[in-house]
Amino acid sequence: MKIKHTIIFALISVMIPASVAFAHKVIIFAWVEDGMIHTQSSFGSKRKAKNCTITVVDDKGTVVHKGQTDLEGNYSFKILEKVNSDLILKLDAGTGHQAQWRILESELVAVSSPNDIQAAMKEKEKLEKGPSIFKIIGGIGIIFMLALAVKFLKRETS
Amino acid sequence: MHISEGVLSGPVLASGALIAMAGTAIGLKKIDYDRIVHVAILASAFFVASLIHVNVGPASVHLILNGIVGLLLGFAAVPAILTALLLQSVFFQYGGLTVLGVNVVVMAVPAVLVHYLFLPLLGKSPTLTFTAGFLAGFFSIFCSSLLLGLALWFTDKNFFETSLVIITAHIPVMIIEGIVTGFCVTFLLKVYPEIIPVKNK
Repeated sequence: MKIKHTIIFALISVMIPASVAFAHKVIIFAWVEDGMIHTQSSFGSKRKAKNCTITVVDDKGTVVHKGQTDLEGNYSFKILEKVNSDLILKLDAGTGHQAQWRILESELVAVSSPNDIQAAMKEKEKLEKGPSIFKIIGGIGIIFMLALAVKFLKRETS
Repeated sequence: MHISEGVLSGPVLASGALIAMAGTAIGLKKIDYDRIVHVAILASAFFVASLIHVNVGPASVHLILNGIVGLLLGFAAVPAILTALLLQSVFFQYGGLTVLGVNVVVMAVPAVLVHYLFLPLLGKSPTLTFTAGFLAGFFSIFCSSLLLGLALWFTDKNFFETSLVIITAHIPVMIIEGIVTGFCVTFLLKVYPEIIPVKNK
């Protein structure tokens, strides 16, 4: 009986695609390189947004391109010739998870140097980084300060 | 479990904000101010729980802990969860400010429900305490998944399919939260019974 339950649990776990997993910080990062627009999507550095839909719209909201991320959360496509506006790349990671990235029109026509790519990668790493210990401790500190403030206010009024 | 910005329509966001505000007002009114430290402890636990990721198969799940927060706080869980979600949104970019009300409803309504359903079972016997804790953890995630499906229904117009995907995806979380909540309440009842409201009655 115990083994049966374990097998059922394992099967359910394996059937769940990572793209609908429970992470809440959804990131899409895009950059232009060699006439292509490259995207990387994730729920943080180690959790890739697999098989998620990417919709590309122009400034007016018209859908100009659609695609799907691979198992590494990557998706690349050729720069669209007929579009003369910024591009907004929307990632739909399912179950209420969504993110977007804007590529400026000037970026689409410019030739990216290795330095630009390096800067873009640094920005990507910064985005994917988890919260620092200072933010966590700071958040807990704020909760306790709010609780004390509420208690103090209540004591003052009663 | 946190819905991102830009997913839901205006009326859904407004409804969520209104319900969250009403719940927060009731919660603030009902808080026992001698137990405010307990509210802060549980709000802090909720705030950091989402950072704890557990790998289940190919997926990565994280704790939510709205079950134990609701079980021990009742209506006071609403302002506690609101504060924690607000800070998660600002510090970790989870969810978002415009969608805060809906996220509060999704996580706090089941929390309040489990308080009234399972709190009376705590302290009767060790087995019953663990079972009540497990059910509180399990049921809160189940209800949150349903509410999440309901919120997305207004966008997708496909409630059953959306809810089924969400509930299936959260089955591991329900089980993990059930076990964690079960062990937590059993442990708390032994070492810090003051935090369990039933013990003070």
